[in-house]
Amino acid sequence: MKLKPPAILALLLLGFLLLAGCLLFGASGFGIPTNPDLRNLRLARVLAGFVVGAALSCAGVTMQAILRNPLAEPYVLGVSSGAGLGAAIAVLSGLASTGILILPASAFVFATLTLVLVFVIAERNGHASVYSLILSGVIIGSICSSILMFLVSTSSAEGLRTIIWWMLGSLQVSSYELLTVCAVVIAVGIAGSLMLARELDALTLGRETAHYVGVRTSVTVAVALGLVTLLAATSVSLAGLIGFVGLIVPHAVRSLVGASHRRLLPCAAIVGGVFLAVCDAAARTVLDGRELPIGVITAVLGGPFFLWILRARRRSGWIE
Amino acid sequence: MDRMKPVIEFEHVSVGYRKDASILSDVSFSINKGETVGLIGPNGSGKTTLLRALAGLLRPAGGRILVGGTDVMTIPAAQRSRMLATVPQELELPVAFTVEELAMIGRTAFLGRFAPPSNEDLNHVERALLYTDMIELRHRNVLELSGGEKQRAVMAMTLAQSPSIILLDEVTSHLDMKHRLEIMEIVQRLNREQNVTVLLSSHDLNIAAEFCARLLLLDHGALAADGTPADVLTPLLLKKVYSCDVRVERNPSTDAITIFPARRLSSESGSPGTPIHIVGGGGSARGLLRHVYFRGYSVTIGVLNEGDSDTQAAAALGIRAAVEKPFSPISGASLDRGLELSAAAETVVVSDVHFGPGNVNNLEIAERALERGHRVIIATCSLEERDHTPSREAEDRINLMIQRGALPASSSSDIFHMLDQPAATRQQ
Repeated sequence: MKLKPPAILALLLLGFLLLAGCLLFGASGFGIPTNPDLRNLRLARVLAGFVVGAALSCAGVTMQAILRNPLAEPYVLGVSSGAGLGAAIAVLSGLASTGILILPASAFVFATLTLVLVFVIAERNGHASVYSLILSGVIIGSICSSILMFLVSTSSAEGLRTIIWWMLGSLQVSSYELLTVCAVVIAVGIAGSLMLARELDALTLGRETAHYVGVRTSVTVAVALGLVTLLAATSVSLAGLIGFVGLIVPHAVRSLVGASHRRLLPCAAIVGGVFLAVCDAAARTVLDGRELPIGVITAVLGGPFFLWILRARRRSGWIE
Repeated sequence: MDRMKPVIEFEHVSVGYRKDASILSDVSFSINKGETVGLIGPNGSGKTTLLRALAGLLRPAGGRILVGGTDVMTIPAAQRSRMLATVPQELELPVAFTVEELAMIGRTAFLGRFAPPSNEDLNHVERALLYTDMIELRHRNVLELSGGEKQRAVMAMTLAQSPSIILLDEVTSHLDMKHRLEIMEIVQRLNREQNVTVLLSSHDLNIAAEFCARLLLLDHGALAADGTPADVLTPLLLKKVYSCDVRVERNPSTDAITIFPARRLSSESGSPGTPIHIVGGGGSARGLLRHVYFRGYSVTIGVLNEGDSDTQAAAALGIRAAVEKPFSPISGASLDRGLELSAAAETVVVSDVHFGPGNVNNLEIAERALERGHRVIIATCSLEERDHTPSREAEDRINLMIQRGALPASSSSDIFHMLDQPAATRQQ
């Protein structure tokens, strides 16, 4: 059922070619721009797409393992709504203009606060069940989204554009420094998840079984959720809210390479990264002279493709 | 380690999921290296809790659990997993691991963060697959396996831990006979060839008796017995703990112990087919109806009012009843029908029904039976409060019957007990 190493290598090569190909597409026309500024901008954008896609996919894989739920994604515990709210508050209060790291820092702090709140609500007798976690995550997420809506509806025109940009998601990089910082943080987050690959395998069998095979479950789950928050919050602060990638890429990749996290995590990172970069290339060229929101492309382009993979190889993914 | 050294010690262990409710209370025992011990007891007696506490999953509220001489709560997780492995009751696998990948999860505590599995890891996985006969299925998706194969795959994961103690929690309960035996034989081989200490919980007393040299019997969180199967599996002890009659048989040639549950015994105490008539009403006879129905008596009931819950219960069980119109006093005609139904009854039982002017005439059915020399059993509990006739007529008539030889019963279990004694023993 599973792909053999040569096939995986071929896929990697294909991914790299696709990534390079993305550089050819842009609003200024087909081909690599001769203007160095424009070229750098496009390169930054492809890189941003790659790191954000990789972060969201990895976070999705990790989340699905620790929550043992096929619907889990980085946003399910309200993390993204919290991060979005944090970013919006930073923008509207004017703090975001005082330093490039204020915005991602605010997003991260709010995402973490949301996660802690979700845990406090879900916890009973020192233990938080998966269902109560998801339920309180959805509730806290909705509350954050509502506050965000409130801020949008009452804010002045200048802040509004930035916030709407957030909610639609965009890979337009506002500063190279921000991209560098986010890329480094995301690399750390992915490396951290990879270090937990063995434990994630065991946790997929449930916390009890993981305990029996020698995993310190509470610590591992806490660390893993921290990494998910780090990855989700960082990608939100770089590119706003981009859905779908963190949910569907893990499933598709799992059905291709199997459930073992040592393979699943790096493959999901690469596939997710290439996927988002390609989607972004499409978003900026499909309509002449105008850019589409990236979320539209991820769902319209990626949806059918991943559904096809899932249907074709269902048996090696989640059972239903 | 020498053979007689205890590897598991429970010292006055109490465990509760909450502070107020104790699931295990003051349990003490020790298990030596290489023993095969069965943990038996009814549902909710604390078997799973005991195993979870032993695996360090639950912290005891009192006492200590020592594994290899060390308090299990202080052993680091990775080290603990090398000493002690647990095969869970039923493993839910949400994603598709292959058999080999699943077995490798057993090596989690041994594996490096980034390095591939060492030769030692691979050897242990190989041996676990060999022991569980999963070599040929190693690349198969675990989700595609049958129940027995899946349980063997989970066993392989546990064996890959190369533990010196293995705990099994009801691992055979979902399996058929053949696969049950397969799993138990793997356990037996491990014990024999590698001197692995085994503690297994089971609802199947026959399997426990067959494979374990020693049994621990749990009852409401306390240790009720600890000894050889012959010592523990006695009808008296099992009846006390399981509240259920059993017959224990020893095969004279193999000395194997076999336990049969209660149903086959009912013919010895009760008398199926014996006609019984019940005087009830207002739901007072429902428990009684159920008891006599399942014991196989030939039952009639009446007179009851239509719509009464006893009437509904009788209808549901297909029991013949003499029935009066709803909310109406018992008429002569329905009483005659009741007398007719009860004419053949060897025993008439009067339940703890409330009496009023409307139904006090029902007592005539019992009085007639008594006159005929048949056995009459009358519930006497809180009779004063149940008598709503103006002149305490019901109480008087019942007391008179008791003077004349009717049997008073103070509770429903009393009635059941009397019913199960043959009617002929009554002194005229």
